[in-house]
Order: sequence, then structure tokens, then C-alpha cells
Amino acid sequence: MSEQTEQNAQVEQSAPQILTFCTNDNAILEVERDVAERSVLIRHLLEDLPASGQAIPLQMVNEAVMKKVIEWCRHHQKDPPSTGDDDDSRRKTTDIEEWDQKFMQVDQEMLFEIILAANFLDIKGLLDVGCKTVANMIKGKSPEEIRKTFNIQNDFTPEEEDQIRRENEWAEDR
Amino acid sequence: MVPYLDCFPEELLRHIIRYCQPYSTTALEQTARRFREVTNEPLLWRYYCLSDFKYWAQEHEFPKKVAGPVLSVNWKSLYKSKHLRYRATCRSLDGILATQTRRLDKIQTIIDLGYDAKDALLQNFSVHPEVEDYLARRYYAEALLTSLHRSVAVREWARLKNGEELALDRLLGAFDLFIPKSGLKSLDEISDRLDGISMLMNLAYPAIDRLTTRDKARAVASFLRVNNLTGIEPDKEYHCLEHNFLGIALSDPRHNSLPLVSATIYCYVAQRVGIDARPCGFPFHVHVIVLPPSGCDVDGNILEAGRQGTPMYMDPFRSDLDTPVADLEYQLAFLGTSPTEQANFLGVSQPLEIVLRCSKNILNSLRHLAQISHKELTSVDVIGAKYAAIWSSMLLSYGTRPTEFRHNLQWLIELLNTEFPLDIHLVEQYVIPLIHGLPEYQDILQSLHAMRGMDEIPRRVKRRSSQVSEIKYKVGQVFRHRRYGYRAVITGWDVECGAGEERIRRMDIDYLKGGRHQNFYHVLYVLLGFCFGYVFDADLVSSVEDRSIRYVAEENIEHMEPELSDIPLALVFVAGKYFKRWDELTKTFVSNIQDEYPER
Repeated sequence: MSEQTEQNAQVEQSAPQILTFCTNDNAILEVERDVAERSVLIRHLLEDLPASGQAIPLQMVNEAVMKKVIEWCRHHQKDPPSTGDDDDSRRKTTDIEEWDQKFMQVDQEMLFEIILAANFLDIKGLLDVGCKTVANMIKGKSPEEIRKTFNIQNDFTPEEEDQIRRENEWAEDR
Repeated sequence: MVPYLDCFPEELLRHIIRYCQPYSTTALEQTARRFREVTNEPLLWRYYCLSDFKYWAQEHEFPKKVAGPVLSVNWKSLYKSKHLRYRATCRSLDGILATQTRRLDKIQTIIDLGYDAKDALLQNFSVHPEVEDYLARRYYAEALLTSLHRSVAVREWARLKNGEELALDRLLGAFDLFIPKSGLKSLDEISDRLDGISMLMNLAYPAIDRLTTRDKARAVASFLRVNNLTGIEPDKEYHCLEHNFLGIALSDPRHNSLPLVSATIYCYVAQRVGIDARPCGFPFHVHVIVLPPSGCDVDGNILEAGRQGTPMYMDPFRSDLDTPVADLEYQLAFLGTSPTEQANFLGVSQPLEIVLRCSKNILNSLRHLAQISHKELTSVDVIGAKYAAIWSSMLLSYGTRPTEFRHNLQWLIELLNTEFPLDIHLVEQYVIPLIHGLPEYQDILQSLHAMRGMDEIPRRVKRRSSQVSEIKYKVGQVFRHRRYGYRAVITGWDVECGAGEERIRRMDIDYLKGGRHQNFYHVLYVLLGFCFGYVFDADLVSSVEDRSIRYVAEENIEHMEPELSDIPLALVFVAGKYFKRWDELTKTFVSNIQDEYPER
């Protein structure tokens, strides 16, 4: 918390450009441009739009989620931009750094909303952390446990279920 | 509107699944139809194949599959078969670590998997020191990896002898597979490196296609020499052991290599720029013979129909320029060769001859090692080098030089017994069929049989409680030898000297204070620098003893309680042969031979 205040103080000193956003539940949020530009979508929007000073509407995101997103972007403001070609090294790093782990300790609804928002706003780092969190929730669970965790309806017939289980038995040897 | 995982757009599910381990993915697949589809996408399983496994047995033709259309391969079933082999390797290794009995079958299971076993072995080799049997795991994983590499090399030479056409770079790279220090991970790595060099060559000479054969040949030699890829630097001893190895020549920053290896590098690159260059059988110093394209001479002049242009000769080891054939002929005449021999020496040398020459060169270098000053001592494992030379020579010269063959056979069996017992299946598969009818056939068969017998019968259990006299020291304790000062680890004991009468006399055991009727210990140690005296013993066979095992009288044991960091690293590593790990509390190694010495 104190870290944030400190950052805000610094930000005010250098008088950064402040953007305003309007979420789909009509909340108005003010964000420094540097922070907001962690979102590729917003960066591109700003490149294309003349600076009108009007609030930018975000129809896919509500206030609570947007606040979380901003919190994440602010914390990761100084991260180097992603290179986008890290595909092969992805799965080797399912560990999540401590701050992000805490950040992701939210209920499932919020977690999914954050992922959807990160996807919509095109914030790769946040999307990755969200997806890793879900992957970790799946890890080590049986199909039944996964269904329970994510409230998934089993729509297989018992015969199908049995067949798929047998098809995948090999993977349990580990 | 609460979002559910099963309402996620497919691209997001894909993103999540990429972070899942395959076993989680298959569990997810079983939850509902929505996930069955997205978890079975070919690209996903292709990705798992690529990211989970680095080494693939040749039979998979993996590089071809990766380069081909995604849909032409059932990636999930490929992953499955690979996964099952990975697990089979781990299970066999666990079995090897669990008991000293019936290890050979498990070893064979692993070696038969070829490169499909390699990822699992590497994984076990780099196991964390917190794993309770990490020393044993590392030791056996390494022993299996090196045996696996040797089996790949031996198979390559055996295929050559069977008349298959194989690339020379693979055949010479096979020698590197015997030398762990070479760091060569697979034979493909050799051609990859050579392809890399060829690519640089093409960049350096973009217009090379327009040159005549002679100018191309010179350009390649000059390129390789400018980049220091051929020859030996003047301050290096010519016969230095590592100069024999193609893999080392390519990976070492100094790139020193004997003429044979330099010529092989040259021919590879030259062929890539479109010239027909091959090693030539010139004695003492391998040259390269370059044949002009049909209908032309090496300078690009069109020849009359039916005439063949004369070849030219290159010596990439020491020159950018071609060697006049007259020079070579003069040298041959000086040696007193007949015209038929001359034609032979100036002709193309077949890969088999080059491999045999390489094997001879290695033995030569080993002989020279004795004369080289100590600072020149090689980092290459001399035993491995020698073993490689013996194997290649035996497989390839079989049927042509019977005396040499039988001499090598003796060495091979000796090295099998003392250094490479994991290779027994290799000897059975490749050597036994060659020695039918030789006088030593029965003896060798029997000794292999004995090795198998030892492996199948559980060890005789030696209990302290049943012993009359007290056994002072325990398996796993570290000591200093009172007379010779070396440090060693106890791996077993006898209540009195168990050596034969002849050995007792030879070792002066009766002159010990306690004589032969005192406790004796089997011990493990590493004598640094052992190899040098050993290799040059002219009559090697009789003098070979296991380099890491000794038999010590109790009176010569001075018990120590060292810190792990005080024990030579090499000793800690080989301790894995008998021990699980180091115990900080008792300052001893924790036994992995409880099936033989069930002491705490």
C-alpha cells in the first residue's frame, strides 16, 4: 500500500498524462497513461484517437475488475515489454512470482473476469499469470475433482466416460 | 452473469492448457465434451512433444515429423509412446538402484530404448541432492548414459561393416561418443555443426558457384584455415589425444585436429559447395582427392567426349593450395612403393579405411602420451579413447588381421570386466558372433556366463552378528590408508584375507603385522592420474586391475570423519556405485548395498 502511495507521489511530481475510463457499470476511473499503456488495446486506441479528454468507454469490463487490472498494471509498470516469442519456454515456468500469487488470491469469478479482461485489453503478462493460476488449480486433480472445482457439468454417457478414461490411463503413470 | 471455465473462448482454454502438464490435460479431457475437443488438438500435443522431450530415437524420424504437415502425425499417440518409454526407463533405473540382483536385464531394457531413454537418464543424472539416493541415481544414470552412447557408436560401425553407406562424419563422431568429456550428445550434432560451417562458407563466398573446381577447392581450404578450423596450432603437440576426435575438433575453440580429421571437415564443407572431395589413402598423412565434374577438368575446360579429367589433391591440414601430384608421387617413390600401391595410395579412401586409420591414430596417440610432458596431459578419458579404438578396430578389421583382432579381443574383455561391465550386452551382440572358432571362444563365453550368473543370484548376505571376531569398521566409513595416504570408502569386509594364495604372496600380506588372519576391507578410491602409467604398460592385459577397487588390511585403516567437502569430488561421484547419499550426522556414506551387508 505504501509503495503505491509513493509511486503516486512520484507520478504527480512529473505530472503525467491522466486518462479517464468509463467501465460498463458507469464508473469513471482515472489512470496514468504509462500505466494504462500496459494494455496493447489501449495503446493502439490512443495512437489512433485524437486526445479529446473524454472518458474512454470500456464495455467489456466492470469497475471492480478494472481496478484490479489497474493495480496489476501499476505494479508491473516497469516490466520489460514481452517479446511474444516465448512460446516454448512457457510451460517450464508455471511458477508465479509472489506478488502475483497474492494478487490472484481472489474468488473464481474475479479470477475469470480478470483473465477475460486481460484478454480483451490485450495485457499479455496479466493473461499469462491468470492462465497459470487456472492451470495450477487443475494440476494434480482427478476429473471429478476438476469438475467440482470449476462447476463443470459432466455431459458424457457412462460408456463414453469409461472409454475416455481407458484411452488416457497411460498418463497416470508418472 | 458468473463466467464459467466451460464458457471460455477456445483460445483462452488453449492458453491455459499449454500451462498444464499432459497428465492434467488428460484429466481435464475427461470432465466434459467441451474440453475433450480442445485438449485433443494436434498442435497442443506437438507442443508437448517438443517441450517435454529433447532426444528421440532415430526410428521416430522426429525432425521429419516436426518439419512436415501438423495433421500428418498423431501427436498425442506419439507423445504417449514417448512418455511410456520415459517411464519404463525410470522404472528400470529404480529397479537397478533397489537391488544388486538382476541388474543386467534392466540395463538392457534401457539401452534398447536408445535415445528414447536419454531424457529420463539426464533427468535422473541432474537429480537434486535432497533426493535420498541422489549419489546412486547420478552414478547409474551417468553409467547408463555413457553405455547408451557407446551402443549408438558401435551400432554405427557394425552397420558400416555390413555394407551400409554411412556418412564419414557420423562414423568419426562415433569415437566422440566414447569420451564423455567430448560433450557430444548425438551424432546429428556433428552434421549440424558442419552444416553451420558450410553456411558460413557460403556467406563468405556468395559467388562460389561461378568458380572452377580448383578455385572452389582452394576457397574451401582457405576459408577453413582462416577460421582456424583445420590443422594444429604450432604450440600444440601433434599426437595429443584430443586431436583425434572430430567432435572435439568442432566444439573446442582451438579446433586442433589431425590431418585425418581436418580432411573429413574439409570434405564435408567441400561437398556442400558442390565439389566431389573425398579423403585419399595417402600414407602417414591423410590428403583429400578432388575429382572434376564429368566432361571437364578441374579448371573448367571442356574435355573431349570419353575423357576423364585428372583429380587434384588438397592438404587442408597445412595448406590453402593444392598439392602437385608429382610431389605426392615423389614421396611414394621415395618410400619404395610399387605402381599398383601408388595408384591405391593416390585413390579415394573408403570410409571403413578412414575409421580404421582413426582407430590406429588413437592408439598411436596413447603410446605417445607417455612421452609428453605433464603439462600437455590430456583432458580426454584415455580409457574411453582406447576402448573406442579397440571396438572400431575389432568390428571393422574383422577377418583381415587375425593377430591384431585377437590381441584387441583380450583388451576388450579385460576392459569389459574392469571398466565397462554395463556393456556386456554389446559384447554379446556384436563380438560373440565374430569369435566363433577362435581358441578363446569358450573362455570368453564362460566369463560372460559367469557375469550373468553373478547378476542373477542374490548376494550372499554378510552379517556382523554371525561373525566370531569383531569387524571394526563399517560399510560407508571413510578412511586414510596408513601406508599410502590415499582416502577411500569401505564397501565391504572379510573376516580374514580372502585373496588367493598367489596374490597373498605377491602382495606380501604375510609380512603385515596382523598377517592374513585379520579383517580385510573392500574399498573404493580414486587414484588421480592413474591412467598414465596404466595405458603404456606394453603388456597391458596382465597388468590391468580395476582402477577404483582395493583390498585393505584392517591395520592399515585410519578412520576419518571428514566433511563431504574434504572428499575428492571424483570419489564422491563413484561412491554412488554403492551408496545412496552422504550423511552429515555420522560423516559416512549411506549404504545402497544392504542386500549384501545389512548393517545399519
